Amino acid sequence: MLKKAYDWIDERLNVTPLWRDVADHDVPPHVNPAIKMSAFIYCFGGLTFLVITTQILSGMFLAMYYTPDINNAWYSVKYIDDQVLLGQVVRGMHFWGASLVIVMMFLHMLRVFFTGAYKKPREMNWVVGVLIFFVVLAFGFTGYLLPWDQKAYWATSVGAQIAGSIPWIGPWIQTLLLGGHYVGALTLSRFFAIHVFFLPAALLVLLALHFIMIRTQHISGPL
Amino acid sequence: MAEGERIPGTPRYRHSLQVHSGYEPFFPNFLLKEWIVGAVFLFAFALWIVFNPVDLGPKANPDDTTFIPIPDWYFLFLYQILKYYPGSQIVVGVVLVPLIGTLLLLFTPWLDVSTERHPYKRPLATAAMVLVTFLVIWLTNEARVQHLAETGQLSSNANLPQLKQVPASQIKFSNTNMPGYKLFESTCATCHGSKGEGHIGPPIYAIGHFWDENQLKGFVENPSGGMPPKGGLSSDKQVDQVVAWLVKQSHSGGGY
Repeated sequence: MLKKAYDWIDERLNVTPLWRDVADHDVPPHVNPAIKMSAFIYCFGGLTFLVITTQILSGMFLAMYYTPDINNAWYSVKYIDDQVLLGQVVRGMHFWGASLVIVMMFLHMLRVFFTGAYKKPREMNWVVGVLIFFVVLAFGFTGYLLPWDQKAYWATSVGAQIAGSIPWIGPWIQTLLLGGHYVGALTLSRFFAIHVFFLPAALLVLLALHFIMIRTQHISGPL
Repeated sequence: MAEGERIPGTPRYRHSLQVHSGYEPFFPNFLLKEWIVGAVFLFAFALWIVFNPVDLGPKANPDDTTFIPIPDWYFLFLYQILKYYPGSQIVVGVVLVPLIGTLLLLFTPWLDVSTERHPYKRPLATAAMVLVTFLVIWLTNEARVQHLAETGQLSSNANLPQLKQVPASQIKFSNTNMPGYKLFESTCATCHGSKGEGHIGPPIYAIGHFWDENQLKGFVENPSGGMPPKGGLSSDKQVDQVVAWLVKQSHSGGGY
């Protein structure tokens, strides 16, 4: 029955080559921690992706209850913490996951650097990785404001002031960030939009590029 | 370990005849192992989450300018760099250093162009990265320590007297006819509470039990933990008057 359904789809869409390409490529022994324990350093990239996946999932669930306006944002987060089933856990996942992504990504970057994996022909993949790093930092900056507590409000105010002190273009950047001269209603809705629409789109495109390049260029050989 | 492993879909009886190169298919062999690593990792992560619940601070209050903000920990090294370039040099900390760092990171493949990959065979690149890593960690810690000192949570404050929290209604001051009490009410009480029960500053209702006049005076003139110098009093004479009164408050409330 299942086989028939698969054949029916495959006949029309020819999906077999797609997944065979992912499934069939051989993984070399030097990145396989089951063969050599020290190869666990090659897991950091995959684990970063795993945590990013949990971030996307927990973020989707948080968005069911979160309200991005200055009167209700804090109360909606409090509601998630106190009333929603497992709300505390899902928020904890998203909060700690944010730090974990940074840690794992940093370790991954150190691994790539010290094994010289960014060398020809993989220069472009390194650049995409650095861009992913900046996108993740932007996630952190915009996400920090969303609970709308004192910590969030004043950290963003200071962040915007720092951006405003850039010569010439600083005040423009500050206005663009805040939607005004102070952190307020517009800032919160714009940070929310950036955090849940703009950055995920950018991140998914960059991740796709990152993975496609690994498939076409393969994992770098042993040292 | 990979030696005796059978690639799914290959006949069992011929398995032992295969020479195993160490290579294995991504799916399902390698992915299964990755899932095991991922499952262990997620389990540790879940335990961490359960034992470290996130607290939500008080609601944002744009009028409360006394709040000492701090960015999330992964921005602290950038934040710390800013502090070394005060005033008109700020452009160095805000633009120049981050820009150079960003460009170096982005163009690493074109800066380290040798074909050698082993870290020991390209000492310059390796040393630079080790140095940057340690610098980032050091700057992050420095920012954290300075923030703790600013907000008065540093461990050195553990040497300061720790008074029990008691309701203001249980505290009875003595010698309230002294001039120091008037000054206390108009200045110190803003932070320490009208009965010294503690508000923004710690409770000090029975501070005379812990400190003598000299210790009190020394601290008020050169305080820590976010208290302004002289506690916001305008003259040394006022400090003397307040200290003379405070030192008599040794049994207020009965407990400390």
